[in-house]
Amino acid sequence: MNFILFQPELFGLFMSGVFLCLSLARPNSKRDFFTALALSAVGIAVCLAGLRLEGGLFYGAYRVDLFSQVFKTLLFMGLFLVICICSELKGIAERLHSEFYLLLTVCTLAMMMLVSSVHLLTIYVALELSSYSLYILVFLRKREDYGIDAGIKYFLIGATASAVMLFGFALLYGATQAAYVGEMLQVLPGLMDRPLVVIGLFLTLSGFLFKLAVFPFHFWAPDVYEGAPNQVTAYIASASKVGAIAILIRMVSLTGGNSEFLVHALVALAIITMTVGNLAAIVQKDLKRLLAYSSVAQAGYILIGILSMSAAGYTGAIFYALALLLMKFTAFLVVVKVAYDGKNISVDQLAGLHRRSPLLAMALMLSLFGLAGIPPTIGFTGKLLLFTAAMKQGYFTLVLIAMINVVISLYYYLLVIKAAYLTAPVGEQPDLEITPPMKLLTGTLVTVMVVVGIYPTLFLDLAEKAARMLVL
Amino acid sequence: MQLTYADFPYLSTLLLTCVGGLLAILFTPAHRIREIKWISAVFSGITMLVSIYIFLAYDKSLGGFQFVEKLEWVPMLGISYFNGVDGFSVPMLLLTGIVFFTGVLTMWEHDYRVKEFFALIFLLVSGVFGMFITLDLFFVFIWFDVSLFPMYLLIAVWGSTRKEYGAMKLTLYLLAGSALILPGIIYLVAGSGLNTFNILALMEPGLFTAAQQKFVFFLFYIGFGILAGVWPFHTWSPVGHVAAPTAVSMIHAGVLMKIGAFGILRLGMFICPEGWQFWAPLMALLATVGIVYGAFVGLSQTDVKYVIGYSSVSHMGIVGLGLATMSVDGLNGAIFQMFAHGVMTALFFSSVGYIYDKTHTKAIAELGGLLKSMPVATSYFIIAALTGIGVPCLASFWAELMVFISAFKVYPIYGTLAIAALAVTALFMLRVVQKVCYGPEDERWAGLPDVSPGLGIPRMILVSVIVLFGLFPSLMFDMIQTASIPFLSRLP
Repeated sequence: MNFILFQPELFGLFMSGVFLCLSLARPNSKRDFFTALALSAVGIAVCLAGLRLEGGLFYGAYRVDLFSQVFKTLLFMGLFLVICICSELKGIAERLHSEFYLLLTVCTLAMMMLVSSVHLLTIYVALELSSYSLYILVFLRKREDYGIDAGIKYFLIGATASAVMLFGFALLYGATQAAYVGEMLQVLPGLMDRPLVVIGLFLTLSGFLFKLAVFPFHFWAPDVYEGAPNQVTAYIASASKVGAIAILIRMVSLTGGNSEFLVHALVALAIITMTVGNLAAIVQKDLKRLLAYSSVAQAGYILIGILSMSAAGYTGAIFYALALLLMKFTAFLVVVKVAYDGKNISVDQLAGLHRRSPLLAMALMLSLFGLAGIPPTIGFTGKLLLFTAAMKQGYFTLVLIAMINVVISLYYYLLVIKAAYLTAPVGEQPDLEITPPMKLLTGTLVTVMVVVGIYPTLFLDLAEKAARMLVL
Repeated sequence: MQLTYADFPYLSTLLLTCVGGLLAILFTPAHRIREIKWISAVFSGITMLVSIYIFLAYDKSLGGFQFVEKLEWVPMLGISYFNGVDGFSVPMLLLTGIVFFTGVLTMWEHDYRVKEFFALIFLLVSGVFGMFITLDLFFVFIWFDVSLFPMYLLIAVWGSTRKEYGAMKLTLYLLAGSALILPGIIYLVAGSGLNTFNILALMEPGLFTAAQQKFVFFLFYIGFGILAGVWPFHTWSPVGHVAAPTAVSMIHAGVLMKIGAFGILRLGMFICPEGWQFWAPLMALLATVGIVYGAFVGLSQTDVKYVIGYSSVSHMGIVGLGLATMSVDGLNGAIFQMFAHGVMTALFFSSVGYIYDKTHTKAIAELGGLLKSMPVATSYFIIAALTGIGVPCLASFWAELMVFISAFKVYPIYGTLAIAALAVTALFMLRVVQKVCYGPEDERWAGLPDVSPGLGIPRMILVSVIVLFGLFPSLMFDMIQTASIPFLSRLP
């Protein structure tokens, strides 16, 4: 067995081991924070070093290719970014900080395994591992501030979705006699006219659609976003979405684009998801709930790329995964910084942000414009790729509906921007203290969002090569 | 299509000057208001000089696209950084340069959140310049939106009268337009099978069927038409103009609305000529309704800025009518009208802006006899009104004349209606002039300071441009013809 192939995961395992030991020692949040920061930064380097690796592990149940390695890098990047905003974990009791980092690392590790899994069993194990870490993370919030209903809701819906998915696995296995994704790839496209296979595939996909918060599995999102600690919400909205996108792309690419029924169903889901998300977001007062519904809408946009079932569509979806990671994270960075006491904030509480911290206000504006798909941000370029791919398959109406959704979404994003730039704050608000490293991080994020938006070539080539791995 | 490559990247210089100005402002501390204003004036002055140079240096005997710059941008998708100007876009660059510089100077006494204000103006104008010079659909959309989204903050923060409503309405309307444009662009790119965003490559005859062209032209016509103030999608425009601060009104009515008409021309008519021929009667109808409607609604307004806003709807209707005639004279007149109306509106808003700054009212009923207390400011106002009416020897006259002559040939009824509406325009313009400038002097306005020589500079520039092109219209017509004649001769 070639352990070099497994190096990013081994590093993740090592990192979780470190936090397991630290959780036994005396609580010290400063120590935990800097350890996590340093280790996750090294982790990105390890992932980048392993970018070009290729091969199989564990009797072919585990596949290392460019597709998986790109996503692993994105996931570790997401972990690093989230840890960057954990310097003051006000929403979580101090004695639990080591556990918080431990679970965050384990969750990332599980998702890294998920993107490499090509066997039904490994997929299931990896998915459950990441889900269970998240269930606990959501529970970690200080009990006196918020109840436990968010955690319960997340757990119940999540467990149901896993059960449904497991049933789908069973049906697929029964129909194809194969548990290896590669073998299924050979058989499935020919069987797509059989109801058993289509239903099996749907039930399977529902597990992943739950993670991505696609209609009708989106009900957990607003409550969980609201009830979880701000940093955990940031993680769910950014890194965990990246993992969900990856596995969804891999599963859908299995069908080889041969199922009209599947495509139609996904088109319907995409349209409903983005419309429901955008319409519900309009009336939200709590910023985290608003961002939750915006996440639902974003999931709809990503489905557009995935249901195109072409290399161009997968390229768009991979590109959009990066875009979503950056945009959502930047938005939550602002949430975390403005809500310095670890509580939730409403949209109105952003009032006067442009005076309290011009940099944060600008970052918020750019990330929201990116989410709305306004050029010249990375969000626009991502949407352009997704929509172009769909148009090449002839889905003109779908693109038009998506664009109408973009206009709807702009309304509530503008309301947030209006709060940050226009509304006069009630009473005197102190300036926000932003440390120089945090300023650097925010500045970098803003720059990357704009530069990659205008000049996407470098990452686009990578995404394209990764997508080619799936379409053979 | 003939391409002449540039020996020096003048067009990129325009863009980089805007971006440079933006960065210079961003890195200047917010309390150094004087420095920020000087930086803005210098950088916007440079863009005006460069645009004048391009206007003079464009080789009219050669025609075609000149000052061309091309750089592969995203080869995988066929996106290139591809700039070039022809006889249609050179006048627009000149217009943008002039209005930008004079707009900055007009805001010299502005003192509320100065840094952000000028930064957003620079961002907006870089989008406008980009839109006029780019020949790549990807960048068309980028620049289009870059020029739109600063508007929201510019109006909502610095505006007056129902500013938040006006800003939100304007932004949503214009972005609804872009929601039609983007699918149109993607449809063309995906449908051509060429994997390119290059406008000139997509212009190849026979690339798209007549049905496809009709479909896409319609998308572009509505999408860009919203920005061009085409009736019935114009309702954002008077509200937005009234709410916006002076310089923003100038740039918005003077330049941004032209982007809409220019988008119809560059994307719709260039790529989908058969769609244009098919929809031209509809364009003519909507344009005529706009001309007549704008004039009559303008007649009943009580707010000076609303009057100008509705006159813009009427004047942009003349542009639409010219484009719909499908003749050389009509196109020449339409482009000239875009230029003339841009300068005229800028002058209008800048003079009204001055009067509003001093009297703090825009209600026609409250103003009166201003000629006695502010003779200079009212003179600018009267000159702008006369240009709006289309008095000979002022730029608009030639533009409107050409459009009406060609409209008479193609659409006799619409032509008659449009000319009749012009009489109404004259009526309401003169009514406003009479009420605001003449009559008994209101003692409230006595002793208000008049336009100082320094603040007079931007208005003087605008007046001289109007008179110059009014006396020598061939300066402009010769330029536009280099593009309009070859363009129409290529049509099937």
